[in-house]
Amino acid sequence: MDIPYTVQPRPDTGVYNAKVGMWLFLASEVMLFGGLFSAYILLRVAAPEGTWPHGWLSIPLGTLNTLILALSAVTVLLAWAACKARMFDRYKFFQGITLLLGVIFLGIKGYEYHDKLTHYTVVLKDGRIADGHWVSATPSEVVLKGEFVAERSELADRRGRAKAHEEIRLARDQVQKMQVYGPAYNTYLALYFTMTGLHGLHVLGGLVVFAFLWGPGSRLWKTDPDRFTNRVEVAGLFWHFVDLVWIFLFPVLYLT
Amino acid sequence: MSLKAVHLVFVTALSALCAGLAVWKLVDFFRPTGQAGDLALGVVGLLCAAGVVVYGRYFLKKLKSVGYL
Amino acid sequence: MQATSPAIPASTHHPAHHPETGFWRTYIFSTDHKVIGIQYGITALCFLFFGFLLMLMMRWQIAHPGEPVPIVGPLLAAVLGDVAARGVMSPDLYNSFGAMHGTIMVFLGVVPLAVGAYGNYLVPLQIGANDMAFPRLNMMSYQLYFLGGIVMLTSFFIPGGAAQAGWTSYSPLATAIPTDGQTFWLIGMVFLITSSLLGSVNLITTIIQLRAPGLTWMRLPFFVWAQFTASFLLLLAFPPLETAGILQLMDKLAGTSFFLPTGLAIGGKLADISGGGSPLLWQHLFWFLAHPEVYVLILPAMGIIGEIIANNTRKPLWGYKSLVFSVLMIGFISFLVWAHHMYLTGMGTRISAFFQTTTMIISIPSVIILTALLISLWGGSIRFNTPMLFALAFLPMFGIGGLTGLPLGFSASDIHLHDTYYVIGHFHYVVAPGTIFALFAGIYYWFPKITGRRMNEYWGKVHFWGSLLFMNLIFMPMFVQGLAGMLRRMSDGGLQYSAAKVPGVAGALSGPILGLNNFILWAAAGLAIAQIPFIINFFWSIAKGQPVRSDNPWEATTLEWQTPTPPPHGNFLKPPQVYRGPYEYSLPGYDKDYVPQNQPPG
Repeated sequence: MDIPYTVQPRPDTGVYNAKVGMWLFLASEVMLFGGLFSAYILLRVAAPEGTWPHGWLSIPLGTLNTLILALSAVTVLLAWAACKARMFDRYKFFQGITLLLGVIFLGIKGYEYHDKLTHYTVVLKDGRIADGHWVSATPSEVVLKGEFVAERSELADRRGRAKAHEEIRLARDQVQKMQVYGPAYNTYLALYFTMTGLHGLHVLGGLVVFAFLWGPGSRLWKTDPDRFTNRVEVAGLFWHFVDLVWIFLFPVLYLT
Repeated sequence: MSLKAVHLVFVTALSALCAGLAVWKLVDFFRPTGQAGDLALGVVGLLCAAGVVVYGRYFLKKLKSVGYL
Repeated sequence: MQATSPAIPASTHHPAHHPETGFWRTYIFSTDHKVIGIQYGITALCFLFFGFLLMLMMRWQIAHPGEPVPIVGPLLAAVLGDVAARGVMSPDLYNSFGAMHGTIMVFLGVVPLAVGAYGNYLVPLQIGANDMAFPRLNMMSYQLYFLGGIVMLTSFFIPGGAAQAGWTSYSPLATAIPTDGQTFWLIGMVFLITSSLLGSVNLITTIIQLRAPGLTWMRLPFFVWAQFTASFLLLLAFPPLETAGILQLMDKLAGTSFFLPTGLAIGGKLADISGGGSPLLWQHLFWFLAHPEVYVLILPAMGIIGEIIANNTRKPLWGYKSLVFSVLMIGFISFLVWAHHMYLTGMGTRISAFFQTTTMIISIPSVIILTALLISLWGGSIRFNTPMLFALAFLPMFGIGGLTGLPLGFSASDIHLHDTYYVIGHFHYVVAPGTIFALFAGIYYWFPKITGRRMNEYWGKVHFWGSLLFMNLIFMPMFVQGLAGMLRRMSDGGLQYSAAKVPGVAGALSGPILGLNNFILWAAAGLAIAQIPFIINFFWSIAKGQPVRSDNPWEATTLEWQTPTPPPHGNFLKPPQVYRGPYEYSLPGYDKDYVPQNQPPG
């Protein structure tokens, strides 16, 4: 029993099955991220004046990641074009580059996460607030690299502020509250981790598919190159969507 | 819509993002609080926008000449 | 081309190129849309029954608060421990049962039955396809649904029990309850949502791509249109709930405050959270799914009713085109009405005005559908068999459900009725004697195609009349209770607001109003008894029912009846070609009163 239109497009609709399926799936993905972006807008509009963080993320790293994803969109297209032109080696080359770029993207993302998850705000019992990156800790004291501030609100806007590098030693018994820059820190970081985390999962999913199509899945090329090319195209559609989401995430989280 | 059409949409969105970034950072630079970093990023954004537009034009031209896509 | 042949077991029909498969591949890990449809159907029927049992126990608690539940009380105490000490349902347990009754009925019962089972089994047959577009994805959808169900059921037995914040799971309550039930609920929902998404992608692709040659859009049976629209609703409305679920999971596990406002106090103490979240955001995201979901429940039901009415009146459906466009219009507008569930949140009168308007507008296509189905009866020589009886009862029952919804759509009257038993009565009229009657009708109607045997007519009619009577006895008094101001979700059935407890207070619940609780309890017990003939009939007929004499026992026109009985793997003996619309009954100039869609002209 063969299901029709798995390889050749149906004449009256002009598409093959997997492409319809992928577009429908992407429609639902638009709604998924649409829900997240609406949550972002609602929460940001409702935030009290002057509390929304600015300049908490590294724009150069974000820009670099944007360019990496953009480049990977080009290579995935070239990989598909190579399939269409029946040049399998060229396909392997470009798909390999796509994979590599995706891994680099995740690596940079991981570095950014690490930077946030080693960053602490410490409220002391005398009311002072220390803010900085974790250096070391013993049972009696915590060492951070950072600065003291008088008010929490000073931390909100960090655009154009030089990085403080003074080493701060805090006695444990003086610490009232110690907060890591994780999702529980504030609404902005909660949104940052959830949105980029979900996007990162999509990147990871795309990479798994690419790895399959680059490795074991490419055996299909020998038996049914048309079908294989369709798979590459459908995976490429998904990858473009993931890249497009990043193009919205980048200004929303890094720039504004 | 096929992959090439989506690719064009993506290239358009990317160029808009780069141009937006450039304008944003350059405006920041010409404010009293402007810094060298703003200028650098603004110029990078501008260059990227130009690069993406050039690539988009090249891609469109290429599409016309390549029959199998 | 007539595919009519005597009913022979499926095995002799296997096309030669189809390899024999073992038990596991044939029945458990099957990729055949019909097997998957049956898997969905049986699982969903079990969940419906389980959800109904939960409600029976709750009705006992409402009518006799603090008294041990009869029959199953000792079992509850033994299995669930302290929350059901001595077999008495504690308020916590009542809340769990309430939340899980809603969740199970909607997400594990009716939707999987209406879309998963009926859609899977019938849509490929009705469009002349040999399977779904993505058979392996189809298998995965079912497995995810099953896993989601397991997670939901498991949550009853974890410490603290299942989720307690209602099927709507409003934050901050859902996050603040210190047990893990809500976490299980959210994980279960992620499975169920993913399952529906994959299922709807599959169904829509199948309808777009695999229609038989000649089966143009306007020749599709009404049922296929209904499934098509319902699938689109699932596809586009579920993801925002997935978003909301992920955010609430983050609130629960990672300590974020997406839905928790600044200054939230739990148990009189300021909660240790960053704050800044919005409880309204959850409600928006939830109802953005949950209102279209209501139409996911009702559209396939309308599709089933359309098929059965056309077949048993022996004439075409009246206004096929208006039916199709109404269904599409419902699908579209259902995305614009969600906030009519939120008039009481104080979101502003202008927003309320918008949603009142759209809510009134969406009643128009619903009324068109109901009217068209009603007019279809006019002048027909109606065959009153069991499926037709259920279909006929659907019309007034759904009518009551729909019309009682109008006062809820206006914010002024909703303020009085919100969260009372009136609301319960309203949507149960839509879903229980509405959708579930349609699902019963469908079971009686397509049973001969699936098994090759008919269900017993006499016991079918007993089942029908019993169900119709008791359904009304259950839900009609709820309108009265609700108008009197009795709130839903109270584990003591409103006792604390009774005139006996708070004498002299205006609006306290009177004795007769509370007395209705006992009336409803016995009506619910009657409804349970009325299902016994169905259950026995169902299993008895699979083995011993009267065998059908042809592949088309109801003399229907649509393609699913032009296959062998039961349809083999691959469905059609040769690929069908369609020449005509779906309901060519009583056409002048033909010797029979029906013309199948695949009968060539002339």
